[in-house]
Amino acid sequence: MHDPGPRHDGHLAGDFSVTADEVTCQQFVELVTDYFEGSLPPRTLSEVEEHLVMCDWCVTYLEQMQATVGSLRNLGDQSSREPPELLLAALRANRAGGP
Amino acid sequence: MSAEQAVAEPQGTAADEQIVAALRAGDERTFRELFERSYPMMKRVARGYVASDAVAEEIVQDTWMAIVTGIERFEGRAALGTWMFSILTNQAKSHGARERRAVPFASIAPADVEEPAVDSDRFQKDDEAWPGHWATPPRPWQKPERRLLSLEARDQLKEALAQLPERQRLIVVLRDVEGLSAEEVCDLLELSQENQRVLLHRGRSRLRAFLEEYLEGPNA
Repeated sequence: MHDPGPRHDGHLAGDFSVTADEVTCQQFVELVTDYFEGSLPPRTLSEVEEHLVMCDWCVTYLEQMQATVGSLRNLGDQSSREPPELLLAALRANRAGGP
Repeated sequence: MSAEQAVAEPQGTAADEQIVAALRAGDERTFRELFERSYPMMKRVARGYVASDAVAEEIVQDTWMAIVTGIERFEGRAALGTWMFSILTNQAKSHGARERRAVPFASIAPADVEEPAVDSDRFQKDDEAWPGHWATPPRPWQKPERRLLSLEARDQLKEALAQLPERQRLIVVLRDVEGLSAEEVCDLLELSQENQRVLLHRGRSRLRAFLEEYLEGPNA
């Protein structure tokens, strides 16, 4: 069992009451992409933001998703290349066959 | 015009018409520009279907051959980018199918949906104190920027990306590696925004889980 974050200690001690509107961690991990995409309905958005204020673990999760997306961006390589002669020849044939 | 727009122009019918006319007329400059700009993205998409860079390069070349020789028949029913992209994925799939015949243990892609982002075992159960809250929470990654930039981590991530189900992989490559917008991807793949988000979410979530294992594993 991992060491719970300090805010979670308060949380677990019952600092705030669970309501039907509360987003759980398990729900949060399914909403995180919609959150990044800005596609959450306003009410869900505020519930998600309230959850993040409360839950360090979900903040960590959010940061991991951001790091994942960031590392994918680094996979991009900009190497390009010249078209091979074979393709240029096929292109020139278009010219010949054109109107 | 960016590299992405060169292939994924969402509704650039006027630009499309110009490009189509140029290719039909054998305009070498337009062709070179388009080829060079789209090359890295096309190769990366192709690479998702096959096991080597060399075969991916072959797929890009075959795709362009089909575009150049088929442009006369392009009717403009779909956007040019969508048409080109469908040729690319068809070429890549047929190469991939040929490769799979040679590799009998290639994994079968699991379903795109109905898979939780995080294993349900990591959350508290209904009979516990805080149902749905973390039981085994994520641990902060130490210096993720630096560690994820290592050559080994990049190779591992490429491999994990290659293991994603096809549609998830395509969307993650286009959105996160290539930097296309959601609209551009929906247009290219003829997907609804909602489906695009679901697939992006599944793909990213799996890759996060993979990196978590990698960064916390025995080699960390």
